[in-house]
Amino acid sequence: MPRIAGTDIPDNKPVRISLRYIYGIGPSHSDKILKAADIDGQTRANKLTEDQLAQIANIIDGGYIVEGALRRAIGQNIARLRDIRCYRGDRHRRGLPVHGQRTKTNARTRKGRKKTVAGKKGVKGMK
Amino acid sequence: MPRSTKKGPYVDEKLYRKVEKLTQMDRREPIKTWARNCTIVPEFVGHTFLVHNGKIFNNVFVTEDMVGHKLGEFSITRMFRGHTTGTKAQRARGM
Repeated sequence: MPRIAGTDIPDNKPVRISLRYIYGIGPSHSDKILKAADIDGQTRANKLTEDQLAQIANIIDGGYIVEGALRRAIGQNIARLRDIRCYRGDRHRRGLPVHGQRTKTNARTRKGRKKTVAGKKGVKGMK
Repeated sequence: MPRSTKKGPYVDEKLYRKVEKLTQMDRREPIKTWARNCTIVPEFVGHTFLVHNGKIFNNVFVTEDMVGHKLGEFSITRMFRGHTTGTKAQRARGM
């Protein structure tokens, strides 16, 4: 199994698909990288030559932020928002949606699993 | 959709002039303002603003990291005191 960008090991799918297993590379980046490397996206990842792998790794190194570096960058951006005590930072701190979504209902991705409150309207089995 | 870059950031004229004046005099007293929609520009760094939230003026000391945000982002308009604990009956009995 080939290794690109640190620990990532894309398997025997077409390269344009397997590149997406790298954090920070999606469909669009994947195609752009392969075009720059002049590799057919349909070739299986395990059929790539050493040269081609090196080429891909080179392109990613020079111009794409992936994996740890990207995670760190995102974390820093959020930490900055928290530090300056702005509204968005506050939403991050409280684990609520940041982009102005409603929170009366839904918003479960950010809020986590439902916490049922006893005595609230609609909660049955109380008395 | 963000504001067109052609126009540059929106900065409240009056507030900007006031900041310049204070900087020239090398004074750093708090500036009371209602201009929540005013973008923080590098010139504001180091000044203190009292930003209205609809009811009171919140103290906002501008640091370098805040540049590019709006003044209103630092003066929250909502108050959330938390949810009550216990059932209605418990509360009625007086906690």
